[in-house]
Amino acid sequence: MIWLLLGLHLAVIGALATGGRPLGRFALLAGALPLAVTSVWAVVHAGTTSPLVVDQLWVEGLDLGFRFRMDALAALMTLLISGIGTVVFVYAFGYFSPSAQGLQRFAATLLAFSASMLGLVWADSIWTLFIFWELTSVTSFLLVGHKHEDDSVQAAARRALMITGGGGLALLAGFLLLADNSGTVVISDLSVAGGSTGTLAAVLIMVAAATKSAQIPFHVWLPGAMAAPTPVSAYLHSATMVKAGVLLIAVTGPFFTESETWKWLGLTFGITSMLWGAVGALRHSDGKLILAWGTISQLGLLITLLSLGSAKATFAAISLLFAHALFKAALFLVIGEIDVRTGTRDITQLGGLYRTMPVTFAAAVAAGASMAGIPPLLGFAAKEAAIEAVLGLEGLELAIAATTVIGGAVLTVAYTTRFLFGVFGPGPAVDISPAKLTLAGPGWLLAAASVVGFLALGLANDIVGPAAIELDADAAVYSLLRWPGLTAGLAVSVGVVIIGLGLGARLRSFTPTTPIPRGANLADDFLDGVLEGARRVTARVQHGSLPVYVATMAATAAAASLPFLAALNADVLIAWDRPLQAFVGAAVVLTAFASARVGSRLGAAVALGAVGVGVSGLFVLHGAPDLLLTQLLVETVVVVGFVIGLGHLSSNFPPVGTTWRSIRLGVAGLGGLGVMVALAASASQPAGRPPIGEIADQAVVTGGGQNVVNVILTDIRGLDTLGEVVVIGTVALGILALTRTQRETGRNRR
Amino acid sequence: MSIALIGTVGGLTAVGLYLITARSLSRIVLGFALLGHAGVLSLLAAGGPAGKAPIISSDGTTTGIANPLTQALALTAIVISFGLTLFLLALARRQEELTADDLVEDDLEDRRIARLPDLPGDRKP
Repeated sequence: MIWLLLGLHLAVIGALATGGRPLGRFALLAGALPLAVTSVWAVVHAGTTSPLVVDQLWVEGLDLGFRFRMDALAALMTLLISGIGTVVFVYAFGYFSPSAQGLQRFAATLLAFSASMLGLVWADSIWTLFIFWELTSVTSFLLVGHKHEDDSVQAAARRALMITGGGGLALLAGFLLLADNSGTVVISDLSVAGGSTGTLAAVLIMVAAATKSAQIPFHVWLPGAMAAPTPVSAYLHSATMVKAGVLLIAVTGPFFTESETWKWLGLTFGITSMLWGAVGALRHSDGKLILAWGTISQLGLLITLLSLGSAKATFAAISLLFAHALFKAALFLVIGEIDVRTGTRDITQLGGLYRTMPVTFAAAVAAGASMAGIPPLLGFAAKEAAIEAVLGLEGLELAIAATTVIGGAVLTVAYTTRFLFGVFGPGPAVDISPAKLTLAGPGWLLAAASVVGFLALGLANDIVGPAAIELDADAAVYSLLRWPGLTAGLAVSVGVVIIGLGLGARLRSFTPTTPIPRGANLADDFLDGVLEGARRVTARVQHGSLPVYVATMAATAAAASLPFLAALNADVLIAWDRPLQAFVGAAVVLTAFASARVGSRLGAAVALGAVGVGVSGLFVLHGAPDLLLTQLLVETVVVVGFVIGLGHLSSNFPPVGTTWRSIRLGVAGLGGLGVMVALAASASQPAGRPPIGEIADQAVVTGGGQNVVNVILTDIRGLDTLGEVVVIGTVALGILALTRTQRETGRNRR
Repeated sequence: MSIALIGTVGGLTAVGLYLITARSLSRIVLGFALLGHAGVLSLLAAGGPAGKAPIISSDGTTTGIANPLTQALALTAIVISFGLTLFLLALARRQEELTADDLVEDDLEDRRIARLPDLPGDRKP
């Protein structure tokens, strides 16, 4: 079924991308179809206790393949992704004007994102999860950059890609450590990682999650991503993609139960983001930015709870994750509708909408109250569970987590109040364009879900409970409560709401100067620096001078062979095979020097001939008469070639600069040294004795020849010898072609 | 392994490298030829100590002969480096025909990359 669903997505994506243009806006409705089907399937599987596993192995030895596992947690995420996705597609149909261009591309990309996200939550192998994780980053990049003509949009999309893509690398490294530690790549079979490996893996995976879930200091991409069309912000940047990091922490948390690093790193990310995100939401006046900063804050709360690691906190985190997806998506859809109908989403310019858009106002109040944790809404039950969870801690954790979570809750109520007052509250009435059901309905629907979720709390429990149990079996004793009773938690909640409302009311007309996005600028500067650095390196390395390329390669190869000096065994070295060898060798090197020193080309050619003759002498001394014959023949032709080819050139070599000359001398010396070290070191480590006797015997017996070298060339390496002949033939053809053209050009000149 | 042979290979390599980093094509050809010699000699050295020629006399004794396998490989190396040297010579001559000199010029495309203006994705100041 998982393959069928992914196939359905892929088919619709392909159809929309290739032939969706005539559909126009209706491409968006077509895109909702696969998601609607998936959401039905998700409802059927919600709260499942028997996971559905699909395993498609590709390379057995490497455990490479696709592996999916649909358990209760995956079912919860699937429900959110496909349910909210369906609603968002319908909303996008109302959001875009009928004349908008490129909607089939938009629909295909948005659906590709949905499919990637579904694959991510279903994945049960580190490879599968990593691939879909990266796919969500890429599709998110495309969606943020939907209005790609705009420079600032390009920068925002690039920033998002760089940060989440970089996090993906950390994820891969962390996963590899975990898999190596456990000996399996199946996520549900991984074992607890301890020691330094565990610490390193914990840091890498936590950082990956923090980049995806926009935790400080990696949050800078999320406010920029608000440049995307509102359906994208509602779907990716509140309900689904940013939850991928939270999900990762939830899924891998059980493998780091022994790691203090994991817990405290998570708490640091979570608490800073929770508080600073909420402050950020109070500082902005753009409605979408308020919600984006609120998302950073809420994700921080989720990560704080998950990092605590207790069953109660895990249960609270999963409940909040569910509630947050519903109310935050609803609020985004509302602000998008207002943006379309009034032309602005700045809370300092909006006003009076509670009268002109009463139903949307009611929906926003419901979703906002759920965000603030006020009954009778799903958010209240979830937040109550969170406060109960932190109050149940002990010692240092109680002191830190309880104060910050309660502080964060106060700020949440405050920015929610400010948002609702600012958008809908009293003020000069703004003009609005006529209502559209497809634009307004989806927001109402999601807001209603928060109410229904609370009224039918048993249903929510059936979805959330098994998902939490999947992570921590001890979570079975907890459930969402409609009325918690007169507990300390309730008293705290009441206090939180009262203080938050007061703070929000005081700050409702507070309009600070627009905050400078320092973090985003920093990220952009960093990116520009990397690009500039890359260009400088390219300009330096790829300079276009062939001699410098050659010198660089030779020096590198020589430097790489020098360390083999350590493997040298002086015993294998002898001064010479025969005394004459030393004399002839010295003569060869001296003649070679002379060939380089000599100024005239003809002289160089003669010196080269002399080198060849010397080398032939070495062949004789080594016991290789065949080589002698060949070498003498070849050398004659080469010298003749030199004289014919270069005879008419200006007889002197051009002069060279002294610096470059000394560099070349250095490289040459290093290269010579490197080759000597490599040779001597390789002789120090013989792989075995060469079977000279056997080869010689076989040459006579099976080859039927007395000259062993000839038998090898014609019998054993017959095909190679044929290849050699072909090479020489090709060279001859090439030379013929080159000289023929030359003759013709020469004739034309005359 | 004979130090005399190793030293010869090293000396030929050094001079060969010095020559192929020159700008004049005829020097590069010279350098290639010397590097070819160095390669052949190192093959020979790698095969073991010197010995009698691997040609078996009628009595069939094979003791004390030099390694025939590396000699066969060295033969191939000689022939291929010969082909390469001649082809390079022809190229040098062609270059001379076209530019009245045989200097290796810088790759203009590479030079252009080094001088590129802002990349298309750069942020405008």
